Parts: sequence; C-alpha cells; structure tokens
Amino acid sequence: MTVDLRKDFVNYAKSLNAASEDKNIRTAISRAVTSYRNTVTETLERFPHTPALAEEVQEIKRQSMANLDNLLETAMASVERNKGKAFYAKDHQAALDIALGIIGKGKTVVKGKSMLGEELHLREYLEDNGNEVWETDLGEFILQLRKERPMHILSPSIHVPREQVAEVFTKFFGKVVPPDIAEEVKVVREFLREKYFTADVGISGANVVAADTGAMVIIENEGNVRLATGAPPVHIVMVGVEKLVPTFQEAMKVAEVTWRYAQYGVPGYVNIVSGPSKTGDIEKVTTYGAHGPKEFYVIFVDNGRNEMAHEEKFSQALHCLRCGGCMYECPVFQVTAGHFGHTYMGGIGAIWTAFVSGGLEKAAPLLYSCLRCGRCVERCPMSINVPAMIGELRERVIYGKEQG
Amino acid sequence: MPMVLDVISENIIKHGSPLALKGSEVSSWAKGLDLPAKGEVLFYTGGEYQMLPFIDSLVKTITHLDQGSKVFSMMMGARNILNKTGFSPEKMYASVLAKDKDRYNSVCFKAAKVLKELGYEFCYSGNEELYSGALLYELGYLQDMEDYVKRVVEVIKKSGAKTIVCLSPHAAEVFKFVYPKMVEGFDFEIRTYVDLVWERRDKLAKLQSAESVVIHDSCRLARELGIHQELRDILVSIGADVKEAPMNREWTSCCGGPIKILFPELSHVIGERRVTELKESGSAHILTSCPYCLSALEAGRAKGDSAVVEDLIEFLYRGVKA
Ligand code: SF4
Repeated sequence: MTVDLRKDFVNYAKSLNAASEDKNIRTAISRAVTSYRNTVTETLERFPHTPALAEEVQEIKRQSMANLDNLLETAMASVERNKGKAFYAKDHQAALDIALGIIGKGKTVVKGKSMLGEELHLREYLEDNGNEVWETDLGEFILQLRKERPMHILSPSIHVPREQVAEVFTKFFGKVVPPDIAEEVKVVREFLREKYFTADVGISGANVVAADTGAMVIIENEGNVRLATGAPPVHIVMVGVEKLVPTFQEAMKVAEVTWRYAQYGVPGYVNIVSGPSKTGDIEKVTTYGAHGPKEFYVIFVDNGRNEMAHEEKFSQALHCLRCGGCMYECPVFQVTAGHFGHTYMGGIGAIWTAFVSGGLEKAAPLLYSCLRCGRCVERCPMSINVPAMIGELRERVIYGKEQG
Repeated sequence: MPMVLDVISENIIKHGSPLALKGSEVSSWAKGLDLPAKGEVLFYTGGEYQMLPFIDSLVKTITHLDQGSKVFSMMMGARNILNKTGFSPEKMYASVLAKDKDRYNSVCFKAAKVLKELGYEFCYSGNEELYSGALLYELGYLQDMEDYVKRVVEVIKKSGAKTIVCLSPHAAEVFKFVYPKMVEGFDFEIRTYVDLVWERRDKLAKLQSAESVVIHDSCRLARELGIHQELRDILVSIGADVKEAPMNREWTSCCGGPIKILFPELSHVIGERRVTELKESGSAHILTSCPYCLSALEAGRAKGDSAVVEDLIEFLYRGVKA
C-alpha cells in the first residue's frame, strides 16, 4: 500500500452515510432520476438518429484526443485571427494567474456555470484577490449564498428544496422571499440583471470548441450565459483542452449529442462565440466592442489533461461530455449525490479526480466506493468504460504507479 | 488503505479463500455425492456461496466491536482487531448461525443435484478447489493475482477438464476475461450454471402451480456475460409467472454487495432500495443467480418484509425434490 488513507476513508464514509440519510437528497434525486429517464427516452424517440450520432462523436473525440497538440495550436491561432487573445495554462495555478492577470483587482465579474471553474476554485481565488464575483446560474447562485459545493454537474443545487432557497434568499436580499419557485426565480433575475450591465468581466466555460474557426459553443437554458458573455466589456472563456474538436461541423455534432443526453431535449440557447463584438457599419472600418465585449480571451486549461490523453487506458475518460447521465444511473450517486465525488462526481468523477483534481489520494476513497456495477457504461453516450478504469486506478492505489 | 483489504487479499493468497475458510469446510457439501476428481466438465464453486454467512459475520462482528466508529474499525483490519480484543477469528466464524451456514453450504449441493437431474456429468476438485481470486481483481491486487492464478490453474488442470462450469458469475467473469491475459494457454471453455440449465430446460420439472417471481439480474451476469433472457426462458419453461422490475436485464440496479466490506451501511441502503424496486414488479418472490446478490438482497430485506429472496438454484431444486 502506498498511501495511508484511513482518515480520509473514515470521513468520507461518514459523509456518505449522512448523505444517504438526508431526505432532501433522497427526494430530489429520485425525482431527478425519473425525470431524466423520461426526458431522454422521449427525446430519443423524437430524434432517433441520436445514438448513431453519438457513435460518430465517439470517433471524433478519439481522433481529437490523439491530436490534441495540433488542435490546440490551430485553435489558438484561430482565436488570435479572430482578434481574441488565446492562452495556454499548463496547470491549475497558471490558469488562475492568467485569469487574474486579465481581470486585475476591484472588478465585478459575472460567471456562467463551469465545472472547470469548480476544479480551479476560480470564484474563491478571484474574490480573495479583491474582486466581486457572481455566479449567474441559478443553482450555483444558491450554492454561492449557501457556501456549498455542487451536488450534481448539471443541477448543482439539486439537494436544496424551495423552502431552504426561500430562507437563504430572505436573508440575503433583506426582504421576505416566499417559498414560491416563481418568486425565487424573479428576485434573482432582478438582482443579476443589474450585475450583468455593470460588470467589468464575464466568464464562461464552453461545451465544445471548434479549432478551425475558434468557435466556443455554450449550451444553456436560463439565458444567463448570453447575458454574462454579452453584456460586460470583457469576455473570458476558460475551457479544458479536452473540449477541442477539429471543425465547426464536428462541434455541432458534439453539441447536439451533449444536449440530448444532458436532458435539454432542445436547449433554450446555444451560444457560439468566436471573438470580440465588432462592426464595420461606418465606412467599413472594423471597430471592436459594438454591442458585446470589446475584448475576448480564451484560456485553454491543461491541468493534467494532456497526461491523461497520453495514457492509453484513460484517454477515453476525456471524451466525457458532462451530460450527467451516468450519475443518474449510479446506485451510489442516487443515495449520496455529489458526496460521491470531489469536484467531479460519480465513477467518471473518480477518474477525473485522479488526474486533474486532487490526484490518486483524493481519488482513492471514491475509487473504492464505486460498485463497478457497469450501469453507467450502458447510459454513457460515449460508452466510457469507467469500471475498467476504476480497476486500473485501484491497482495504482495498491502498488503505486507502475514505471514506464 | 483500509487494512481489511490487505487481510482479504492475504487470505486469498495464503489460504485460497478470502476468509481463510478451510478446504474441508468449503467442500463439505459434496459429501455423499461421490463426485469424481477428474472429468470433462469441472463443477466450480470457488467457495463463494459457502463463504457468504462468514462475510456477514465479519461485518457484524466488527460493527459490534466498535460501535462508535464502525468504519474506522473496518480500516484497522479484522484480524488485528480480533486479536487485540481477544476475539479469535475462529470464534467469529463460530458465531455464524448454523441455519445460515447450512443454507449457503447447501446451495452447491442443490446446484449439483439439479445438474445431475438434467443428465450432466461433472467432476469436482473437493478439498483442493481454490477461490478464483475475483476479489483480488476487484480490489486492485492484480500483481498478487498474477501469482495466485497459477495455483488455481494447476488445480483446474489436475481435473483434466476442458469446460469449467461456474456457479458464480464473478468467477465466470475472471476466468473468461482476466485469466486468459495472465495465464498462457488458458483455453478452457467457461460456462455458467445458468447456461447449462438453460440448454436442458425442457427437462426441468414443472411447477405445481404458477408462482409469480421476479428476477434480479446480477450485474456481472447481465452486463459482462450478457445472460438475462436465459433466466426468463428457464423460469417460463417450468411454468413460472415472471414479473419484471422497472430496471432489469442490462439496466439492472446493483444490489450494493460490492462495497459491503468497506461501506456496509451504504451497501445496505442500496440493497434495500433494490428490494423495493424489485417488488414494484408485483411479485415479492425475488430470484437471483449470484452469491453476492443473494446475500446483499437478503440483507436489504426490511425486518418483517414479506419478500422472499432465493437463488435460482434453490428455487429449481425444489422441483428436483418433489
Ligand atoms: S461519463 Fe458519459 S454519461 Fe457520464 S457525464 Fe460523461 S458522457 Fe455523460
């Protein structure tokens, strides 16, 4: 045995047990699971070409990960050609430094939902460095106020019922907010509207990036991403390098498969952003910052991904679309939600934890709470063989990483 | 790392059984059946059904020893704790209820009887039979497993068999997918008990009255080995009324068994939920075909729950007796 993790195991087991007794988590997840299964069945019937498209996307992803270095180069050049600025961040700290370098201090920042942001603890870092940062996704906004971490990658506040939302809103807004969902949505809308238009910087992630055009594709329903990336004068995209694919056409395929399995059915909005806002309407002179941001930055974050891409047994984990489907089918996740995770959740989360977010030590308890039952593989549009990878990583926990 | 894992792996390597059960104990079910040691087809139990009551006892004993932090004591390793506090492992084993021991021990006997009824001939390695090592594979002790499997293969080879019939899908899984990678020329035909019964299902005795049953598909059997329709065919052919749970076949919900040793409480919750899901089928007579599912679902049955959990083997054996 290479690492002594007894303490971690104990605390972890306690948190799993507590979570499994939490009625809110139980009810919320059962509801979510039923609704997920229903929506996906329904939309797959409506769009029966999806499974075949998913297979095509698997191949696109496979080739993209095999060509990651080239793709990154192309994408960075495309962003620059579009008059944006492209950066490559080797690790966690580099990513934060670059972002902070662009933003500076004393700024107001509005932010879209991003798992990468969670991985980097981006909001906390910017706040610690003297900025005001607002999560604009409703679920993340609730968690920001509750000082909690997400319990699901798509529905981060899945475990918080409306009564508790009302409580925290009443306290925060300094006025009585009833436990009425429409009312709760409304107060946040009013509050954030002002923030979008006074913010200095908007930050978003991206679901997929087309290297040929430098197009960032961002899927959403709430409309917060449109505003957060459209209203402020500066837009920063922070995206993991695994989101790269060669062409725009391929990016569309990835996007469609992503939203179909991510329970959007048909998403409210698909944003495609490739550069700063511009106009040539006066004398054909191109001027930047017409209605949207004047400055556009893309930070491509590696933080362990490249290493993963080069490991034959794990590169497939980079195909993950973050649709969240596997989590709904996971018997452990169904009773513990994000407690079965460390930033990234569920079985696939254990793999990601090992490579990009904490290493083998943080991953070990997660690795051993996986049942290796394999239902996630049935669900996964990318057919990622998570149980096999869990087995490989358990071996590394026991013997240490083999040489060579 | 939780030492209990080291203890289990050590037991497998030293004693050929995750809980260091003695060969004579593991094979006691075969007394009186006069199974030959050599033959074409090897009947393989791997000691897995026989071990079940002891796993529960291990979990229970440790839980009992340290009420304050069950999980912590799991981490300390069973043997250490037992030694320190004056409990000998033997004593722990002795605490297993005789009725549980009898029940799980007799599963192998019943399986052999059913196959005999169907006209199959097979041999058995008796005292010498070794556990497949599936847990070494599960828990990540792959390097140890590479050495261990050599000994298992030796025993198997002694039988002269070409085909191995596994009672446990976990054994079938490792023989089929892991052994060939570790042992050169491991070219045995790997079958499951379910396979064999399915082939001659027409010869099975019919049920007296159409009982309704629900199948809990084992993850390994349904997903890794692709066996699920076979179970239904078998049951339909004897006249059972097969009900279906909402999640079944390759979408089956895990029984929670795999994490029982490290996360017993959570495992229990998952087992309970699966029992509830199975009962939504309209039948409370649950049949499965995997030792760990059997034990996890038994444990997941709430106190006083009317549900009955049986292995397919036990269910079919009743027809043999009648
Ligand atoms: S592993 Fe598969 S199912 Fe799970 S989030 Fe990723 S793409 Fe979706």
